[in-house]
Amino acid sequence: MLFPTFTFAVFFLLVFIGNWVLMSRQTVWKPFMLIVSLVFYGWWDWRFVLLLALSAVANQFFALWIAGLRPRSAAAKWALAAAVAANLGVLGWFKYYGFFVTSVVNFLGTFHLTADLPLLRIVLPLGISFLTFRVLTYVIDVYRGTLRPASLLDFSVYVAFFPYLAAGPIARASEFLPQLTGPRDPRQIDTSRAFFLIFGGLVKKMLIADYLATHIVNGVFTTPGQYSSLEVLLGIVGYSVQIYCDFSAYADIAIGISLLLGFRLPDNFDAPYTAVSVQDFWRRWHMTLSRWLRDYLYIPLGGNRKGRGRTYVNLMLTMVLGGLWHGAGWTFIFWGFLYGCALVVEHMRVDRRKERARLVQRQRMELAAALDGIAGAVPLAEGPGAAPARPAAPELEYDRRPWRGAVWPRVGTFAFVTFAWIFFRSDTFGAAASVIARLFQSWGSVGAAVTPGVLLAIAVGIGVQYVPRTLWQRGEAGLSVLHPLLQGLVLAVGFMLLDVLGPAGPATFLYFKF
Amino acid sequence: MAEHRTPGDEGREQPLPFGRRRRTAASALVAMLVAFCLGALFNAPAMKKTALEMPFGGARSFRLALVRPLADVSHWLFLDRPAELTAQAVGRPDPGAGVRVAVVVPTPTPTATGKPGGHGQKPGKPLQERPLPKPFKGHPMHLYIAGDSMMGLPGMALVNLSNKTKLIKPKLDYHISSGLVRPDFFNWPAEVQQQVRTFDPGAVAVMFGANDNQGIETGSGHVYAFGTEGWKKEYAKRVQDMIGLLFQDGVRRVYWIGQPIMPSSSFDRQLQAMNGIYRSVAEKTHGVVYIDTWSLLSRNGAYSQYLPGVDGEMVQVREQDGEHLTYAGGLIVAQAVLDAIKKEWFAKKGEGRPSSPPSPRATKSATPAP
Repeated sequence: MLFPTFTFAVFFLLVFIGNWVLMSRQTVWKPFMLIVSLVFYGWWDWRFVLLLALSAVANQFFALWIAGLRPRSAAAKWALAAAVAANLGVLGWFKYYGFFVTSVVNFLGTFHLTADLPLLRIVLPLGISFLTFRVLTYVIDVYRGTLRPASLLDFSVYVAFFPYLAAGPIARASEFLPQLTGPRDPRQIDTSRAFFLIFGGLVKKMLIADYLATHIVNGVFTTPGQYSSLEVLLGIVGYSVQIYCDFSAYADIAIGISLLLGFRLPDNFDAPYTAVSVQDFWRRWHMTLSRWLRDYLYIPLGGNRKGRGRTYVNLMLTMVLGGLWHGAGWTFIFWGFLYGCALVVEHMRVDRRKERARLVQRQRMELAAALDGIAGAVPLAEGPGAAPARPAAPELEYDRRPWRGAVWPRVGTFAFVTFAWIFFRSDTFGAAASVIARLFQSWGSVGAAVTPGVLLAIAVGIGVQYVPRTLWQRGEAGLSVLHPLLQGLVLAVGFMLLDVLGPAGPATFLYFKF
Repeated sequence: MAEHRTPGDEGREQPLPFGRRRRTAASALVAMLVAFCLGALFNAPAMKKTALEMPFGGARSFRLALVRPLADVSHWLFLDRPAELTAQAVGRPDPGAGVRVAVVVPTPTPTATGKPGGHGQKPGKPLQERPLPKPFKGHPMHLYIAGDSMMGLPGMALVNLSNKTKLIKPKLDYHISSGLVRPDFFNWPAEVQQQVRTFDPGAVAVMFGANDNQGIETGSGHVYAFGTEGWKKEYAKRVQDMIGLLFQDGVRRVYWIGQPIMPSSSFDRQLQAMNGIYRSVAEKTHGVVYIDTWSLLSRNGAYSQYLPGVDGEMVQVREQDGEHLTYAGGLIVAQAVLDAIKKEWFAKKGEGRPSSPPSPRATKSATPAP
């Protein structure tokens, strides 16, 4: 069941009514939310529902098992390892089996060896990567002692909650489960923000993302030889805009419909193409994934606590695994590798400045100590093994921005991100190379795909990220004071415009396949 | 548009920026119901068009029973006008156009179906039986590629392979959910006629059928259920008419790409029945080559998601739905089409041009037998 469909509109109206009528009776409300979520998921394929049920029961078992053991004991570690292995094993089976088998067969083939491995047809359950990361937050937080095991019913609602089921945001168990503890006040719904998010999401998806996909992006990435260099350049930039408008649209709609049901989900995007560095980009793009990778992968790997070299290795590992999470293919791994390289370079630049600042500070302190006539009497705060014998040294003064300036860092970051998307979008390195090569081969003509519509969609898709947040908030405030009948009229006119201006049929969201 | 907040702090409702007001669930419901009902009335013609385009059967009748009165009410209240005027203003097709305008399906004219003398052709052999002009650099053979979504990635692969030869100028034209059964949804005969007249292709590669497993309505309004004898007869006629339309405007070769093996055995049987029709028409018609993708994309006669690709490496040939081809799968099909094209169009002097198809000619004409 896709969000921008009549079927979903009817479904949601019924769920909305049931949600608020039943919310005060928790014993009925929770099963209701679980059932409607399963109906939503089963609409694609009823077999997927079994996977959800299995995931809920198995992870609840792991959580209870871990909670019953001594905190952080060896036994608890083994139980956690079993839980992680089971979840990643299921993900690996569904998502990476074919990639693994074909890679092995082709690798052996280069040595003229044959491997008769079974090549099964495995249907990838919708949103399984998101599901895996969600349930892992539950068992890991229980292991860490930051979360108590919930009831099986509560946990099942968390696993299956339909708005974020297919493509996030990756709400953590610790963020969602407390919202099931008591009924919300039905007089305190942030309706105007919800309507803004839902309608804005539909506009981004139907008028920008789908338009760019059909009018330039799909063609450029599959038949680059048919396009001029300018068209290819616009197609690549167009894909940057498309993937943002598509993915953030899903997140906005998911957050909006959750708000209408009385739930709050974490934000997933914050104007990512205004980022001034790659670090900044990952603080703004797919924020819930970035947080997940940071807290459940990068920090457990040691983060930046084990020396500079190890920090860089951890960054690289995190980004490569993040790339692999997106898709089973070498181009996804390379995409993650590119980001790993970029983050390492940015960290090195900042680290170098930090080193210099530390040296300057040390010299200043030595000078100050000498002037005070107490040089050598006081250990220096930054020295190895030194204990602060005087108040802590002043904070190091250095520029923490990887790149200086306001405009060029933005342009450079966007250019890098756009370049990296080429590998994300291409099935093979050969296909990516064809697109890149075409950028330099045909600058003689403009090309028929360079239309005002394409240029406008790209400009709006990027420009909208530079609109101050306060402007949206004023719009939301303006809508909120209207009479509900007028709000309905505004929305109806909006839907009519979407229907006339949008594509003929709804297209699936890009991130469904991840 | 993001607004920073910390999830999990329910119960402590904080004031919202710029005096934004929270509303009750009841007022949200009123707004949504108004938006839903009014939106449905605004969009009723488009909804009716969508319902009309559904496959013939109970679901279509049910949907029509719901949206017909809605469209009538919308029309009486002039609520269909805003969408119509907006579409006119931005140069988009009228959302309900298909409901009001009858579909005209072009058919080949009996006097101009490729026979000598038809459409200004010189007397003598039918065009398709004459030697093919050899393409050369600067004078490529135009290849028009048409079909439904199944033709998407194979078509793109064929475009890329064709460009590499520098002797073929390809043009891809595919439309999702389309086929030969429902010209009211997408009028392929009209489309190919227009494309052929403007692009002037020497050869055409087509792939249809994946959406054609539904009832078919004849010109007299009779609907034959899928798979019946009447359906087969009418469908074969449409295939023949399509080829006739192509030939009458000067197309020399048609490469009719059959449907590949499918994971669902019932769907596969349906497509195999259609493949039988395409193959039969191709065998009877000079100038039509049938490309058997069912064999190309099966593994020992069975379905497989993975097969050796054109370079021998094991590749995933089907998308996640199991039906549509990936680019790597499309390349296999495209290579087969290109091989068939090269065999006839790129034959070197002295090699001779094998007659296509290899089967005996059933008719003297370049058009299929009725």
